[in-house]
Amino acid sequence: MKELGGTNGLTRRDFLRNGLVFGVGAQALASGYAAVPDVFARAVLAAKSAQVQNDRVLVMIQLGGGNDGLQTVIPIGSSQYRDFRPQLSAAAAKAQPINKDVALHENLKGIKKLYDDGKVAIVQGVGYPTPSFSHFDSIRVWETADPTRRQQDGWLGAAIAKNYDSLGHPLVGCACGTTSVPGMLRDLQATLTVVDDAKTFGFQGGQNVENVMGTLYKSTPGIYGALFDTAMTTARDTVAQLRTSAAKYTPRGNYSDKVNLVYSSKNQLAAALQLAAELIVTGTGVKVLHVTLGGFDTHYTELNRHDSLMNYLDSAISAFHDDLTAYGMADRVIIATWSEFGRRPKENASGGTDHGTASPVFLIGDGVKGGLYGETPSLAKLDQGGNLSYSVDFRAVYQEIMSSHLAVDAKEILGQSFDRVPFVKMQA
Amino acid sequence: MNDEPTTAKPAKTPRKTPLGIRRRHVLIGAGAAAGGLAITRVLGLHHLGDLPMLALPGQTPAPTGVDWISPLDKTEAQVAHLLRRATFGATPTEYAQSVKDGFKTTVDRLIETPIAEPPALPGADDATQEKPIKPQELIAWWLDWMLRSPTPFGERMTFFWHGHFTSDFRKVNLQTPFIYWQNLTWRRMALGNLYGMLYQVTIDPGMLRYLDLGTSTGRAPNENYSRELMELFTMGVGTFTEDDVRSGAKALAGWREPVTQAMYDALVKRAQDQGRPAPRVTPDTTKTGIFEQQRAYVGGVKFLGLTKQWDVRGVLEQILAQDSVAPFIVTKILREFVTDQPSDGYVKRLAEGFRKSRYDVKALMRDVFMSPEFLAPANYRALVKSPTELMVHMARALETPALAKPIGVAGQGMGQTLFDPPEVGGWPSNASWISSNNVLERVNFAQVTLTGMPKIPPFKDAHVTHLDGVVSPATAQLLNSSPDDATRWLILLASPEFQLK
Repeated sequence: MKELGGTNGLTRRDFLRNGLVFGVGAQALASGYAAVPDVFARAVLAAKSAQVQNDRVLVMIQLGGGNDGLQTVIPIGSSQYRDFRPQLSAAAAKAQPINKDVALHENLKGIKKLYDDGKVAIVQGVGYPTPSFSHFDSIRVWETADPTRRQQDGWLGAAIAKNYDSLGHPLVGCACGTTSVPGMLRDLQATLTVVDDAKTFGFQGGQNVENVMGTLYKSTPGIYGALFDTAMTTARDTVAQLRTSAAKYTPRGNYSDKVNLVYSSKNQLAAALQLAAELIVTGTGVKVLHVTLGGFDTHYTELNRHDSLMNYLDSAISAFHDDLTAYGMADRVIIATWSEFGRRPKENASGGTDHGTASPVFLIGDGVKGGLYGETPSLAKLDQGGNLSYSVDFRAVYQEIMSSHLAVDAKEILGQSFDRVPFVKMQA
Repeated sequence: MNDEPTTAKPAKTPRKTPLGIRRRHVLIGAGAAAGGLAITRVLGLHHLGDLPMLALPGQTPAPTGVDWISPLDKTEAQVAHLLRRATFGATPTEYAQSVKDGFKTTVDRLIETPIAEPPALPGADDATQEKPIKPQELIAWWLDWMLRSPTPFGERMTFFWHGHFTSDFRKVNLQTPFIYWQNLTWRRMALGNLYGMLYQVTIDPGMLRYLDLGTSTGRAPNENYSRELMELFTMGVGTFTEDDVRSGAKALAGWREPVTQAMYDALVKRAQDQGRPAPRVTPDTTKTGIFEQQRAYVGGVKFLGLTKQWDVRGVLEQILAQDSVAPFIVTKILREFVTDQPSDGYVKRLAEGFRKSRYDVKALMRDVFMSPEFLAPANYRALVKSPTELMVHMARALETPALAKPIGVAGQGMGQTLFDPPEVGGWPSNASWISSNNVLERVNFAQVTLTGMPKIPPFKDAHVTHLDGVVSPATAQLLNSSPDDATRWLILLASPEFQLK
């Protein structure tokens, strides 16, 4: 069994089986979740290189389908906006101005409040050279942080594998509200867990069945053998973790998935973020979380659909931030949104928009230095295909997250350096 | 291979509980089980040798360092392998018949038997806003046919095309019969010619709505269908330009969805109830999209290198003239039916045949199953069952056909709600199905299904019928030390071996 670096040679098994996890976690709970990083999280996150050691957490929110940046951070100062979007520009009048040029969508009320409190950084015009208009291709570029398409591993999976002892803890990387490992976290060297629904995450038939399955999934031959064995071990460890976490956690934010989306994928963003909060505040040592809200591929009747998505996103993020704040952990956690692309400035015949290019990224948390970053994309200077030009490479956002928030070597993951986008207030 | 498993007897005869499972015995037995040789003999387990590992590109080899020993030199294993991949797994009766027929005759039977239609889903043709199709009923309707269709290869192909030419009921909406019709259409065309299939896909009412061609006009074209027609359905990413997407959108514009009599009647009634004037539409009798010249684009555009005035047929012909189509479709089929990593040479060979046959899907599937690669040792257990395949196979192995509803519900927790793929690219495949969440859910389904069965069928030689007698030492040990058939079934159905095909 591989040893955890810098933790007295304790193995994951020791942590889980000997009750160390639960003991220390319980202590942290007893002390009312002081903003002081809890001992367990630090111990588990003690990384391969000694200097990488902090208690920060990253929550990635994927806006699946290509979020329309121009309907999210609306260029109210632009006359071209109304020309390009006779129907969709109705959103401008009701939007919440940030300055004379741009305004937040009217339904991003909670995020606007956080913005006014200096807790939201909006990086405008984020994209990459020679953009792809394919969902899958562009998702892969964002997931692997590699526009040359040579990388297979997700950038966060690689960051976990290279910096945190992947055998150290099953919950270092966790995808909530989904059934499979998101591309950003994918890396065979990283132990990752996936929890679709925390309430049902357990073995039917109880401990006996669980033990049998532990025996059954051992040294499985074949190309998928290790994947299966690891998945089963991780499932068992996660069951144990969730049992302790659930008993110690009461949500302190107003989470609700009872929303009427005009059309979208599954409504479980709030539940997924609530699980993320549970894992964070109960000191499980979780480091990187990933959740997804789909439905942003608004080729038709975009106005209503995007309105409802903005409302849902805003309420889920607000509940999550309230929850973390109540537990005194909002300064440790940064939420980052991402989407494979923005959308075409000119609306189409279906009252929607087609695949486009650059769009804004939101970074939210008490550790964020709020404000606007990057340039507001110019509608007067579109490229040949009628698309926006990007001003900030998405990898520059990743770089800031890694070097300033997670305190890991960004260059090792990205292979190069980018100009800093200094949205992290407190250097890790 | 057909040896009766003289499984090790537990220390005491287990007390008859409703299930008869006493897992304490399993564990104790497992610890005390005999060495590998005995297990090998008892279970017909092939020795796990030192074959070179098959590593996924860019990924590290499994630390176990051993591969399954292929039994595909034997007829029994060949037909079982075929039935796992070309159908949803065999019942013991189908297995016995296929073993008797042999591999080639079984391939012939699967491919040549005309595909049986499912019974109609009551009320689906007349779906309206007031009387929508219930998603659970639609899902169970199809699963029920997967469980008991006399032509399971046809269902397997319908399932494949459902993931390829995908649509979801969230966007298509169940207040119309469109997604139900789409399933019927996909089944009827499942072994047809790609050109004819693409024509039906393009003007399918569900697809017109799912990828927005139904609201695209020549004046303000919607690019969604044009792009995915090339990227996801035929040619693959990187084989066309953005200009082709835009031209394609113009060339394809002009179609609208049909309005059924029931939908029309509901519209009229709603208007009356609300005191509004009658709607200015008329009901259509066709079950396909309707072309309206005044909404189409007039004029020549350059599409895939050729400038002319286009229509759907012309667009599809131009697409099928591209070299990228045959390799793209063949690769997707091979990844679903043979190996996650088909070699370039294999793809090229089958693609040449596919194009020469003028894109005859039936001929292609015969080529796939009859290719030496299909039975090559390296491709044994080289694919991961999707949740639907897994659960339908479980039900068929247990000869319990009445599981459509539970399978539908459980699919959601494993990431596969039929008619509701996670994205426009359809379903994940192979390694993407493996996660902590999914192994847990898969094991739970086996456990819950067995617990819910009033009578569990005798295990007999199920490990041969369903796993070719090739199991890992861990599986062998647990099977061997299981106190009763219920436990043996749980081990078999929950085993990593059973997740593979």
